[in-house]
Amino acid sequence: MLGLFGTLDMARRSLQTQMTGIEVTGQNIANVNTAGYSRQRVNIASAPDLLTGIGPEGTGANATGIQQIVSAVLNSQIQSQSSAGGYASAQQTAYQTAQNGLNEFLNGAGAASSTNAAGASTSDSGLAGQLSTLFNAFSSLATSPSAGNQQAVVGAAKNLATTFNNISQQLGTASANADTSVTNDVTSANKLLSQIANLNTQIVRTQGGNGDANDLLDQREQDLENLSKLTSITTSTETNGAVDVNIGGQTLVSGNNVSDTLQTYTASNGHLLVQTATGGVKLTLSNGSIQGTIDARDGALATMQGNIDSLASNLITSVNTIQNGGYNANGGTGNSFFTGTNAATISVNAALTNNPALIQAANGATNPGDTSLALQISQLATTTQTGLNNQTFGDYYGATVAGLGTALADANTQVNTQTGLSGMLATQRGAVSGVNIDEEMTNLMTFQRAYEASAQLVTTVNTLMGDTLAMKVG
Amino acid sequence: MRIATNAYQDSMLNQFNLLASQQQALQSQVSTGLRVQAPSDDPVAMQNTLGDLANQSLQTQYGTNISTLQTRAAGVDSVLQSLQTVSSRAGEIATAAGSATNSQSSLNNYADEVNTLINQVVNAANTKDSATGKYLFGGTASGTAPFTTTTDANGNVTAVTYNGNGAVNQAQIGAGLTATVDIPGANPTGTGARGLITDNQSGADFLNHLISLRNNLTAGNQSAVTTTDAANLQKDENNIAYQVANNGVVQNQLTAAASFATSNGQNLSQMISNSSGANLMNTIVQLNQAQTSYQAALQSGSKIMQLSLLNYIH
Repeated sequence: MLGLFGTLDMARRSLQTQMTGIEVTGQNIANVNTAGYSRQRVNIASAPDLLTGIGPEGTGANATGIQQIVSAVLNSQIQSQSSAGGYASAQQTAYQTAQNGLNEFLNGAGAASSTNAAGASTSDSGLAGQLSTLFNAFSSLATSPSAGNQQAVVGAAKNLATTFNNISQQLGTASANADTSVTNDVTSANKLLSQIANLNTQIVRTQGGNGDANDLLDQREQDLENLSKLTSITTSTETNGAVDVNIGGQTLVSGNNVSDTLQTYTASNGHLLVQTATGGVKLTLSNGSIQGTIDARDGALATMQGNIDSLASNLITSVNTIQNGGYNANGGTGNSFFTGTNAATISVNAALTNNPALIQAANGATNPGDTSLALQISQLATTTQTGLNNQTFGDYYGATVAGLGTALADANTQVNTQTGLSGMLATQRGAVSGVNIDEEMTNLMTFQRAYEASAQLVTTVNTLMGDTLAMKVG
Repeated sequence: MRIATNAYQDSMLNQFNLLASQQQALQSQVSTGLRVQAPSDDPVAMQNTLGDLANQSLQTQYGTNISTLQTRAAGVDSVLQSLQTVSSRAGEIATAAGSATNSQSSLNNYADEVNTLINQVVNAANTKDSATGKYLFGGTASGTAPFTTTTDANGNVTAVTYNGNGAVNQAQIGAGLTATVDIPGANPTGTGARGLITDNQSGADFLNHLISLRNNLTAGNQSAVTTTDAANLQKDENNIAYQVANNGVVQNQLTAAASFATSNGQNLSQMISNSSGANLMNTIVQLNQAQTSYQAALQSGSKIMQLSLLNYIH
């Protein structure tokens, strides 16, 4: 039997056990708002029985450990989800920037009372409307070769050229931003790789001493999730608790060491891709914001830039081919209408800007009043171009706009889907690992009452011991 | 199922954001009348709308061109009317001067009047377009006066030179449809647009015929006046009548084209509206639904967040 001293010791250990429970509950409450925190639970087990003549007798309870409540499966799913979400978000950002740079939006003059509003009041803010304006200006010039209409042609052409220049610059900026984003993401990834290796070291050391590295595990899990947002990773856990990280088929964290890091290199298209820093292995990444940015930059953005350049160069060639063979109202010739070769360099010939009367609309030096070339140029609005997939300028541009719109709409859908899935997985993880204040308060009361009872046991045993000492013989 | 305390807040924040963005999008649709504003809203509708807008812009331009041509056609018509008056008077003179009762003095008076008519014709043929300042009847060589004259010591026109050409400018008034109200002053080729003053097809040569008439009147050659000049002037009158009629035909064509362009523009407005316009009734109902949902989410959220075991333990 335990006797009074044994019972007093049992009460002491019970106090310690309940206090541990209160401490763990306090830890959980304190971390209710900590990102990535997984709730902890104190494991309490009965102390070994004492064999007595009347059978085994309990000796109280001991706190046997503090356990982190996590689901490895959910964590793995969340990592994978983070990569997919990072990829979609990166694409969304790149395409959104390009769409803003394109500045092709519809404007409405306000709601009408009809079932379907807009219509006559709708206009567009971008290149499409300016293409129409230029061709229409040539049409007006063909109809009425006045100085005002010559001025209008040059004005419309200048606006169009400036818009081409702006779009080209904006798309260039979007590509440059994508490169900057890749560089920043690679820097962040390397920092996370280093942190994961450091945490591996601490976790192995802590768990090697038979301790629990719960909070360190949380931190590492958070780092792995953040790394997953940047690029898809695969992980494997060693027996000592360290996690090895593999990116693009290359092991970058092995136990306590960062065996290699990521670095950017300039690809043949002049933009940045990713390789291992030491090994120099060019990586084919999947998912994550790095690859999302690269795919957006080299995909829809590059296509967009190419299409806008094709549009500009075909316009330059088509207008110049007609105009350059003509004569101005004074019988003079020799001035190109457009200069430049692409969207970045297209410009209206300065000579025409300074003197719109130099527009060569006449098909012959001896008939300066002829405007047949202006008519021909105006008819380009409805003429299909071989260099533009046999589409008109407007249709080709419309298809280009729709291409970017589709890419962004797809990215938006992906982001919404991934956000929904992330929310669902977060809720599921919360159900397993999240802190619930009500639950913790209930636990607190449970441990508090148990502590009070244990304290009462001490008081009772103390009274009994006093009674025992006060006993008189005889 | 366990629900982590922060799951409430995270879930509600997501819902608030979703509902707020829905409200913002719907409110924007109501205020602009547009369901599609950015390419990503509906890429296909955006592509269709841009095409329709370009086409609508073309129809508007056709209307502008037609309006310009109609103004010019009215100016041409005014000149033609004055030429008809001159032609008619010249014909009367040719007929009246053939009478044997006319003295040379009378014939000289007629000759003086014909001189005036010649000047009127030259002035009319050198009329400028008020919009462009270009000569109306010089063809496409419209930079210089189409008709210059040689005069004798008395200031009478003895010869006329045409400085223009037989070409005319065409203007776009519809898809694949061009028109012109321009008339070249002279067309000696026999093909293309008929000349106003001189035309090979009709045999018109108004100014030279008037000069011949005057010369024959001055010379007292009544026989030539009645046999040659009167017949020639009839050709001129017929040619001017043709030009008047042709001008009328073109004006009718312009009116029809304007009506077509307007109708096309209205159809395109409807197509644009169907592609990218917001269905206001549906949109307003959806906006009300979104507002109600947002309000419900706020109310329920604020109540749930207030609930805690802490409120009940002391």
